Amino acid sequence: MTASVLGRVVATERRPNTPHEFHFWTALDAPVGVGTIVRVESTRPVNGVLPSVYGVVTEGFGYTDLQTPLHDVLGADGVPGSSASAPTERTEIRLYTAAVLRQVPEEPLQPVPIGTVHLATEADVQAALRMDTYVQGSDARGIPVGAYRSGGTDAAVHLDADFLLGPEAAHLAISGVSGLATKTSAVQWLLASIFTHLPARKGKVAAVCFNVKGPDLCFIDRPATRLDPADRALYDALGVPAEPFAQVRYFAPWHARGTHLATLRTHDALADSVTPLTWGLRETLQYAEVLLSREDIDAKADALIDFIKERVVDQRFEDKLLEGAHEVRAFADLERWFRELLQGMEAANQEQWRTHHIATIRKVRNRLGNISTRCKGLVTDDGTVSDLPFGAFEDRAVYVVDVAQLEEDAQDLVFARIISQLREHLEKRALGVEQVVVFVDELNKYAPSDGADTYVRQMLLDIAERGRYLGLVLFGAQQFRSQVHRRVVGNSGTQLFGRMDADELATPGYQTLAPATKARLATLEKGQLMVRHPHFGQPIFVRFPRPAVLTGREGVEQFPPAEVPTLEMAVTKTLRRLDASITVGQVQDILALAGDDEEAILRARNVTLLKRPDNVLAFFSKQLRKRVAPEVVGGRGPAPLRAPATDDEYG
Amino acid sequence: MRAAIRALRAAGVGVGAAGAPLELRPAFDDAAPRVEPVTPLEGDRLAVRVVPGAPEPGIRAFLDGIQRSQVVTHIGAVPLVHGAVAAAVRRREARQLRTWGEARRREALVLPVAALEPTLVGALGAVIPLVDTTAGEPTPPSGHPQDLAARALTAVQRMREAEELALLAAWVAEGDGPLLVDGGISGSPEGARADAVIGVVKSHRTLYAAPAELPLVLGLREGERTTAVTLHSPRRNPVASWYLRLRDPGARSPLFGLVRVEVAPTGDLTARADAVSRWVLAERAPSALPDPRWDVMVYGIRECEEYLTAILPR
Ligand SMILES: Nc1ncnc2c1ncn2[C@@H]1O[C@H](COP(=O)(O)OP(=O)(O)O)[C@@H](O)[C@H]1O
Ligand SMILES: [Mg+2]
Repeated sequence: MTASVLGRVVATERRPNTPHEFHFWTALDAPVGVGTIVRVESTRPVNGVLPSVYGVVTEGFGYTDLQTPLHDVLGADGVPGSSASAPTERTEIRLYTAAVLRQVPEEPLQPVPIGTVHLATEADVQAALRMDTYVQGSDARGIPVGAYRSGGTDAAVHLDADFLLGPEAAHLAISGVSGLATKTSAVQWLLASIFTHLPARKGKVAAVCFNVKGPDLCFIDRPATRLDPADRALYDALGVPAEPFAQVRYFAPWHARGTHLATLRTHDALADSVTPLTWGLRETLQYAEVLLSREDIDAKADALIDFIKERVVDQRFEDKLLEGAHEVRAFADLERWFRELLQGMEAANQEQWRTHHIATIRKVRNRLGNISTRCKGLVTDDGTVSDLPFGAFEDRAVYVVDVAQLEEDAQDLVFARIISQLREHLEKRALGVEQVVVFVDELNKYAPSDGADTYVRQMLLDIAERGRYLGLVLFGAQQFRSQVHRRVVGNSGTQLFGRMDADELATPGYQTLAPATKARLATLEKGQLMVRHPHFGQPIFVRFPRPAVLTGREGVEQFPPAEVPTLEMAVTKTLRRLDASITVGQVQDILALAGDDEEAILRARNVTLLKRPDNVLAFFSKQLRKRVAPEVVGGRGPAPLRAPATDDEYG
Repeated sequence: MRAAIRALRAAGVGVGAAGAPLELRPAFDDAAPRVEPVTPLEGDRLAVRVVPGAPEPGIRAFLDGIQRSQVVTHIGAVPLVHGAVAAAVRRREARQLRTWGEARRREALVLPVAALEPTLVGALGAVIPLVDTTAGEPTPPSGHPQDLAARALTAVQRMREAEELALLAAWVAEGDGPLLVDGGISGSPEGARADAVIGVVKSHRTLYAAPAELPLVLGLREGERTTAVTLHSPRRNPVASWYLRLRDPGARSPLFGLVRVEVAPTGDLTARADAVSRWVLAERAPSALPDPRWDVMVYGIRECEEYLTAILPR
């Protein structure tokens, strides 16, 4: 049985069909619109084969037999209401333009033949998008991205894992208006889909998500409060369980004050699940370039920093200018080392030390000292390191790194180090998983199309260009694609578009889209996306379900962030993670010993947390007693971290 | 036409440029305008009457036919004409027009059989229907090429009329409401008797009124009609007819917006002529523009013509 005829192909000299475009007309009530996939059936065989052509509607026209509006005015005697009551309606036509998705057979490539037009069935959608080559069979590797729906046809649209995660192509860029384009939601959904559908033979996969805005990704291990039957139906149809992520680990640096973590996931019931993210001197110096601007650092300073990295840090260092042997393991040690060195040089009235000029030494001391203050909460003076489990990444786990409350500098440092670590571990095949999806929201901030050539941008460009061979995959979200460096978007094998801004659509990047397609993009509903993927000859519109996780907004309602704790409470809460029986009273008793040396107390807590001793209280109080006198590092006062904005829209 | 050309080529006849259809050549439309007196049917002399009440839709369907006569070639002085005709009833349902039953189409090679070689006539007749312009004509052709062409045109006209009449008869037998026919209905025995058929004549080479009554007819204002009269024509069926002004002519020709309506001469003529006039007035919208005869053509007829143009054999 042949499906009922939707329309007929028409070609005129003025508007001919080509191998990539054709025109057809339909009845006025035909269920067809921009984005509808159709199939053309021809009765004329080519080389003995009846060709099938698949296309997607990109433009629509409607007109009547009227040659000029004036004729209607004349006929109605200038009274608009009178022709509305006319006994006959004018003959009207609906004419559509479709872009060819695929011709079968592909050779010889000819203009689309005259024939009947039919709504695509599910099988037609598969063929039209060339999904038949990767959704079935022994090498099946389709990742559902959403459902195509039009004219009663409902078909799952799959991406090719080899083109989404590598090695053929990789990366994904999603663009659209904030709050309406459902960018963050789409990435969450797609991660769930990847975790469900990536075949085991493709290896283990994990995701590292940077939470850059409010509580966006802070509750993705909690179930959604609102999933409509329509959402559930989509989950069923696309074969993804409607469940939150089973394995999520959260990381956040300390708040500048050090008492609590700088994240919105601080509700008492959840606080245990966030691991502090703190780095010491060695971790930070490796990425000093990220934080030191080019003007700061000339060749001489570079040489000194290299010297420190190679000869001073993490080893015994002696010099006749220094009072004794130094073991520089933390910023505080480094500061002591600088101070003694400079004092020694002054005492010896020496301008030069091992080829380094005293001015360079002063400058580097100043700049490096600054880092630990600018990134307070992330970079510790004392060398405590608490990090992502590089080397022990788990399959299908999500690692959320909350940098929303960090200064830009510190955010850059976090990106640079984590992504470099991922890269190094992947290169050595020693990460624990074979593939990592790195999700960077607001990518335009980190890889802007204009502006300075920062370290972070260089690094993102590098991933975009080489990551696919390593299994390092970038998922970037941005309002305006035009504001992201073109080598980053250009290297994204897959592009998603939610509701778009009209001004953005007027930029050159969208020139190839038909006006009607742009109009549809400018009015897309939440949950609808336009997808570009290497196998798809044309962009395709799909619908995806709400993520099955608690949204950030609802998360902070259900789990309001804890009040900023007192020092005692802060310490108690942290130590309770190791031993639930600890009371505030016990902690108060121990703190009494330390007087008001807050830094020392927090340092003792951090070490305890890291070492996880059997007797928590005893260990903690021992740490406190053997504390070293605190050092004030650097010349300037500490730059406070951005305070959690209470009026943040979390959009 | 393609069939005709193929047939001629197969018969070894060179085919020349087609030129304009005969219908568009002015030389063939040369009947002189005249005035013809009539007999009143409504009252005892011709009068003007304002159509009472507002225009209201009452027409169910529209009937029209089209023709095209094209000289394909000459053999000696004899033109060979390809004639194509089509006719259809477009029935209205929910304000949309659709073809009722099937449209009728015919094509033929129109020629004077007696003036041509029998072998050629035989060869052509094997591939395309032939219509003999000399058959049944009272006077033999003069041999003037234009006379021959004029005869061909008349033959094609007859072909069209035959198709129209067949459809008209079919509607009278099976149609479901008033049918508006483009042109007169007195040529159809069924149409001239049926209540369901309304003829609307747009051209007025002959004006049916005594010379003294002409000012009444030409002075009709929009929404006015004359009283009904009956036309005398020996070869035609009797009908009731009246003039109706569809649009105000202003300073234009006095024939602007003027149509002549024909119905079967039965029943209460005043009531019937008023009702039919209201129906016809209702069909002024949408307008038939850009057709040059838009002032007198209703949209249903224009639509029918457009449809026929699309399906005319070519
Ligand atoms: N599939 C969906 N269908 C309908 N609404 C959705 C869907 N996904 C997300 N939303 C809603 O759209 C809003 C914006 O989503 P979000 O992902 O935060 O957008 P963006 O990241 O582009 O600013 C949220 O309120 C969310 O609940
Ligand atoms: Mg977002």
